[in-house]
Amino acid sequence: MANRAVPQRPNGQTPGKICQFKLVLLGESSVGKSSLVLRFVKGQFHEYQESTIGAAFLTQTIHLNDVAVKFEIWDTAGQERYHSLAPMYYRGAQAAIVVYDITNQDTFERAKNWVKELQRQATPGIVIALAGNKLDLNTMRSVQTDESQTYAYENGLLFMETSAKTSANVTEIFKAIAEKLPKNETTNTAGQGRRLVESEGANKSLSSCCK
Amino acid sequence: MDEEYDCIVLGTGLKECILSGMLSVSGKKVLHVDRNKYYGGESASITPLQELFQKFGVKEPDEKEHGRGRDWNVDLVPKFLMANGLLVKLLIHTGVTRYLEFKSVEGSYVYKGGKIYKVPVDQKEALSSDLMGIFEKRRFRNFLIFVQDFQENDPKTWKDVDPQRMSAYQLYTKFGLDKNTQDFTGHALALYLNDDYVNEPAANLIRRIKLYSDSLARYGKSPYLYPLYGLGELPQGFARLSAIYGGTYMLNTPVDEIVFEGSSVVGIKSGGVVAKCKQVFCDPSYIKERVKKTGQVIRCICLLNHPIPNTRDALSTQIIIPQNQVNRKSDIYVSLVSNTHQVSAQGWFIAMVSSKVETSNPELEIKPGLDLLGSIKQKFVSISDYYEPIDDGKDSKLFISKSYDATSHFETTCLDVLDIYKRATGEEFDFSKIKLESEDV
Ligand SMILES: Nc1nc2c(ncn2[C@@H]2O[C@H](COP(=O)(O)OP(=O)(O)OP(=O)(O)O)[C@@H](O)[C@H]2O)c(=O)[nH]1
Ligand SMILES: [Mg+2]
Repeated sequence: MANRAVPQRPNGQTPGKICQFKLVLLGESSVGKSSLVLRFVKGQFHEYQESTIGAAFLTQTIHLNDVAVKFEIWDTAGQERYHSLAPMYYRGAQAAIVVYDITNQDTFERAKNWVKELQRQATPGIVIALAGNKLDLNTMRSVQTDESQTYAYENGLLFMETSAKTSANVTEIFKAIAEKLPKNETTNTAGQGRRLVESEGANKSLSSCCK
Repeated sequence: MDEEYDCIVLGTGLKECILSGMLSVSGKKVLHVDRNKYYGGESASITPLQELFQKFGVKEPDEKEHGRGRDWNVDLVPKFLMANGLLVKLLIHTGVTRYLEFKSVEGSYVYKGGKIYKVPVDQKEALSSDLMGIFEKRRFRNFLIFVQDFQENDPKTWKDVDPQRMSAYQLYTKFGLDKNTQDFTGHALALYLNDDYVNEPAANLIRRIKLYSDSLARYGKSPYLYPLYGLGELPQGFARLSAIYGGTYMLNTPVDEIVFEGSSVVGIKSGGVVAKCKQVFCDPSYIKERVKKTGQVIRCICLLNHPIPNTRDALSTQIIIPQNQVNRKSDIYVSLVSNTHQVSAQGWFIAMVSSKVETSNPELEIKPGLDLLGSIKQKFVSISDYYEPIDDGKDSKLFISKSYDATSHFETTCLDVLDIYKRATGEEFDFSKIKLESEDV
């Protein structure tokens, strides 16, 4: 949850910083949340995407100059479908992508509600990006770019139109988030607790990175 | 919702969420419903603080005094995790531990003759402790060495103790332990709630002391762990596991009726719609006519603006008051958590005093516990009925969990869950069904 310290590299060269961030995906069912993650993490796209069985979260690292930004990406696992997402889901998230489907106006309205919810519930200072997905279906568009752009601007959100199918803007949106995330914070508010592991004594106690 | 499921689970308390997770992982199609709009039922942590005051019908708190309401997560049922106990094993083997962070509870204390004493964590503390006299310390040390060396499957380590035929009481007598040491051992180390165990086989006592010392060995300060943001994180973690394996979640959904055909369940009815299933799992509140009340538990939440006196300013602690010390039949437990666990605002502490109800004046019963706390800013008392199911579910296909008991940790909670799982599926849970991807963490 917190930015985790990484071991020094064995060869004397200056180690690059590695910062880890929790990123959550939000949005109406079927807008393409899991597909965006799958495209970003594995470079794949499935026409008939099933929810990612068994994955607590997926991780992917982007390099920005001398900093490696590691995303711990949480997908809703369908719990948003009947408005049954647990507060734990947002807990400690430093970034969020709120997704809608550009061919479906309702999903855009729902996205606005998620943004409000985040602003109310999530960590103050969370970086929020709005993604208008399924850009490849431009001919069937019902949400105009201008409208979303204006909304995003007024609410201080990053905004891009994406396609998990063609991979348009997928890496770009994660990169834009990575750039906006603060990478020099030493006092991260996340808990400083320990995660439990199997072998005795080998528990990692977390400390903050990015010194 | 008007589909067909293998299992429908009602209530998102910890027990139901663990069950839901295990069932989904085993490939069952699960629908999980809660009448409340939040996760956790009885095992929720209440937030913001205003909710807690409302729940108990007390005038809303002052933000200036209590800090931001959102910074509070107050448990309704106090418990700690044993570091080497069943719940930790379940968390690790299911991977749910990845969603959570824990802290060790700083101190563990025991009450004797009106004062509290630190439960020694090592030889050095044991030798300097005022808990026992010098000769008793020697006898106790011999007893601990015996327990440490004891291996249940190796009779050579049993010395001349037959752990199944000898009672706990006889074992104490064999080592010459006095009444106070017996109280301390049975209640502060073996964590028995009352004295019924003394006539049971010594093997059980030995096993429990080993759990205590193995737990202590994991993280040092005490054998107990507590999750950041409160115990309410636990059910949410297992619910997410269930969802990841395909479980469907519906909160804020009233349940009108559990539908039977003949003697077995066939589904549930909500808002006039029936969802069909082969089995139903629920907590006692969803079907009052199939459970019996077997007791009551009193729990008193106390907000303090200081640590508990005489605990070296510990930010988290447990104090056990063995029944004999206060002429009762069951122990009183005091637990303390605080801002360091993200459950209260800066400078605030949440103490909880709890016990099994024995008289018609339960609040008076827990007075010895309340008296240890120093000044109390706000007190919320609840008395809950303890229910058990009247049948084992084998015919009815309705599997009801027991209420949360007065014990201070989650061992009995997990035993109930594992027992229900076995009754319902006819097999033990197979942890190898969980695929933990190696690519992350
Ligand atoms: N044409 C097109 N289809 C997409 C795109 N992204 C996702 N899809 C399809 O949309 C459907 C839903 O995608 P998912 O990724 O499962 O959507 P989700 O938001 O994760 O849905 P839930 O898990 O139900 O909340 C699948 O059939 C995908 O193949 C896209 O960019 N273009
Ligand atoms: Mg999905």
